[in-house]
Amino acid sequence: MAAVQETIDQVRLIDVDQYKYGFETVIEVDKAPKGLSEDIIRFISAKKQEPEWMLEWRLDAYRRWLTMEEPTWARVEYPKIDFNDLYYYAAPKSSAGPKSLEEVDPELLRVYEKLGIPLREQEILAGVETPRVAVDAVFDSVSVVTTFKKELQKAGVIFMSISEAIREHPELIKKYLGSVVPTSDNFYATLNAAVFTDGSFVFVPKGVRCPMELSTYFRINEKNTGQFERTLIIVEEGAYVSYLEGCTAPQRDENQLHAAVVELIALDDAEIKYSTVQNWYPGDAQGKGGIYNFVTKRGDCRGARSKISWTQVETGSAITWKYPSCILRGDDSRGEFYSIAVSNGYQQIDSGTKMIHLGKNTSSRIISKGISAGNSNNTYRGQVSINRRASNARNFTNCDSLLIGDQCGAHTVPYIDVKNASAQIEHEATTSKISEDQKFYVMQRGIPEEEAIALIVNGFVKDVIQQLPMEFAVEAQKLIGISLEGSVG
Amino acid sequence: MNMQTTSRLTAAETALVEAFGAQIGELPGNGAVIGTRDRLLDDLKKSGLPTRRIEAWHYTDLKNLLRILPDAATVSAIDPAAPLVEGSKVLSILQGTADAKAAVDGVEIALFRDRLADGSAAAGLTALDKDDAIGRINGSFVRDGYAIAVPANTELDAPIELQALHGAGQVHTRFPVSFGAASKATIIERHRSVAEGSALVSSISDIALEDGADITWIILQQQAAEDTHLGQIRVKLGTDAKLRLFVINAGGKLVRQELRIDVAGEGAELTLRGVNLLGGESHTDVTLVLGHNVPNTNSTEIIRNVVFDRANGVFQGMIRVAPDAQKTDAKMSCNTLLLTDDGGFSAKPELEIFADDVVCGHGATVADIESSHLFYLMARGVPENKARAMLVKAFVAEIVEELEEEKLVEALEGVISAWLEKHA
Repeated sequence: MAAVQETIDQVRLIDVDQYKYGFETVIEVDKAPKGLSEDIIRFISAKKQEPEWMLEWRLDAYRRWLTMEEPTWARVEYPKIDFNDLYYYAAPKSSAGPKSLEEVDPELLRVYEKLGIPLREQEILAGVETPRVAVDAVFDSVSVVTTFKKELQKAGVIFMSISEAIREHPELIKKYLGSVVPTSDNFYATLNAAVFTDGSFVFVPKGVRCPMELSTYFRINEKNTGQFERTLIIVEEGAYVSYLEGCTAPQRDENQLHAAVVELIALDDAEIKYSTVQNWYPGDAQGKGGIYNFVTKRGDCRGARSKISWTQVETGSAITWKYPSCILRGDDSRGEFYSIAVSNGYQQIDSGTKMIHLGKNTSSRIISKGISAGNSNNTYRGQVSINRRASNARNFTNCDSLLIGDQCGAHTVPYIDVKNASAQIEHEATTSKISEDQKFYVMQRGIPEEEAIALIVNGFVKDVIQQLPMEFAVEAQKLIGISLEGSVG
Repeated sequence: MNMQTTSRLTAAETALVEAFGAQIGELPGNGAVIGTRDRLLDDLKKSGLPTRRIEAWHYTDLKNLLRILPDAATVSAIDPAAPLVEGSKVLSILQGTADAKAAVDGVEIALFRDRLADGSAAAGLTALDKDDAIGRINGSFVRDGYAIAVPANTELDAPIELQALHGAGQVHTRFPVSFGAASKATIIERHRSVAEGSALVSSISDIALEDGADITWIILQQQAAEDTHLGQIRVKLGTDAKLRLFVINAGGKLVRQELRIDVAGEGAELTLRGVNLLGGESHTDVTLVLGHNVPNTNSTEIIRNVVFDRANGVFQGMIRVAPDAQKTDAKMSCNTLLLTDDGGFSAKPELEIFADDVVCGHGATVADIESSHLFYLMARGVPENKARAMLVKAFVAEIVEELEEEKLVEALEGVISAWLEKHA
């Protein structure tokens, strides 16, 4: 069918056989022994020079985790994970934290270069009219270098690795860590609380508009290491931050586990924009290998008139289990979720969002676009819940799925719970291939078929692409494919 | 009976097990039927009533909601009533017992208790899957009903009314109905309380439409405010078959209505319409599992809900398109007027799609009455409460009007009006 050929090609471009980022870097690595026990947690905590209370927090989580069971409700299938057959700590060997890029292993910098990360400040500065981006790079488990730290400090913004933050700002960590995703939240979040090795910490004080986009690149490199990052973003009254997260991982035979936790806190009138591009190794054409991605992301609109917006472009991972959510606690707060999920090969995506309306006059918007191809399964799973006291809540949800090929599946599982009469909830979902009607409509205006399809596919994901910050929109387009890139750009 | 104490049973579960023990000697059925009943009850005992941990029962925690069962030994004396639509052929089931003299010209009618006795009903008694609590309860306890066969090429000029009337106690009925090729008929399945006291009703209609059959099936549930209704409709559509299925819930305290529909013939068409009038302290759950299993089939589903008082409503609608079912066109919408802050409504419209050349969609809305509509009427001198009533009625009556048969529409509108007058 010509109608979908272009999209097929475009999806193939990001297919496993051509996985652009499938290289492995050989660097000296400092590793903890395989397996998980209280000793390993003590080891991690000691390695990170953490205070005693942090170790207790971890151990408490670990003991809870031992009593929990792996969730099975998602539409994903995978062989049972042996949590004792993983390395929980792997750090690139480097002496006392590097102060400048020169101190960083050049091999590592080359990796980032291949990924096209604007790590070097001068490169970013050289970018004409491009807003500058501060990067906190995570190589396996340890944040290696943080650029722009000084400049951010001037604005009062704290942007550092979470391990540093634990040492330097324990009062903030004690107050906020685990306040959105409690340690007992779910199986993977609890595991993360016990063993997280690094991640980013952002604090934007009252009234500050963060002067640049903040960005973290996660990358899984060492064999059989689970990567457990923890991100905590706190935005105080009237402040604003835009945070970008991008992920690539080298090609691997064995499945690698990734279980991150991201917590966002927005106080009165604060705004957080969180964007993700995830293109981890999805496994090969036979479905062998690939990353298992079990992520808990949650934002808490704690203050009145606060706003949290999630944007994600998911093209990678063998398994994606991810539901970036918003708790709309503050009156007049707003939550948004924009998502493009592309699955191919034997990928399984089960992703969506939760919008929990607790405050008055809260509103939320969900736009989800799924494209499934090959033998993949792509599920949108979402919940919109209106509390009894959340008067005048408003939600609009739109989930569309596009199917390419007859071996794949597209599924939509929305949960809508309304307990307040003044709520106004709209949900719509469609699944189809490109309709002949749409094509006809465009073509009869003199546009050739190829272009007509490009236009329609472009239109299909446009709502989401538009939400991405400039720098990321480019990467997203690269990932989604040449034809789409051409038509969107 | 060999009791297995795998888990602690609730009062209602214990009551079911005990009722089974007490009734087993007199429940109709040959060896095969009794064997099936035993197995079903055993499964029920092992798994217990479903809780919200079971996805299909996510919003209806039967274990929690079904606390006390009415005494199975209670027998209420019931008289037949006038049919919903004048001129209908009435097949009455009074307190769960079918009428041995019931007959409709040109239609084969058998008593389900006879089918149980001779064992021909045994195969159909099994549960549909491991979460099919209704199938298990009904299969264990069913006593009677009608087995109906409308021969091929038969067109019935009057509707058939399956009139299930009951008072307090337990009623378990089943209606296997087959419609021959190119037959045409209208069936009204009515469950109604006519005497005081609470009742537990379980009822399964097993409907098969052969090629080209054109059928209208209406389910009207008007049970008492203390009643439990566990209903299940199993449908199989043959090639080019057309089914218009209308489900109207206007009663009951705990209602679960499952619609399990298998669109199994090319060119088949399903029109599902639902009206749920929810008031008092009731909990009403309509769960649809619709499988488009062959190419070139269509379906549309529209569910309208009105929620008053402390009522809770649930709609779960799953559309499943099989890998080869290309050219499926399925559209579902669920609209709710939530008129109270003490009640609630939960919707879970699901799509599960394995074929690519399809057009499937669903929409769900929950809101109060549109203020501009209210303003329009009030600006014309209609007082607010009356304007609201008009709008609520219009919201659901619109669905019923699709039926086109004038007498039927009038009768159903009458039911809706009477309900709204009582609750609004």
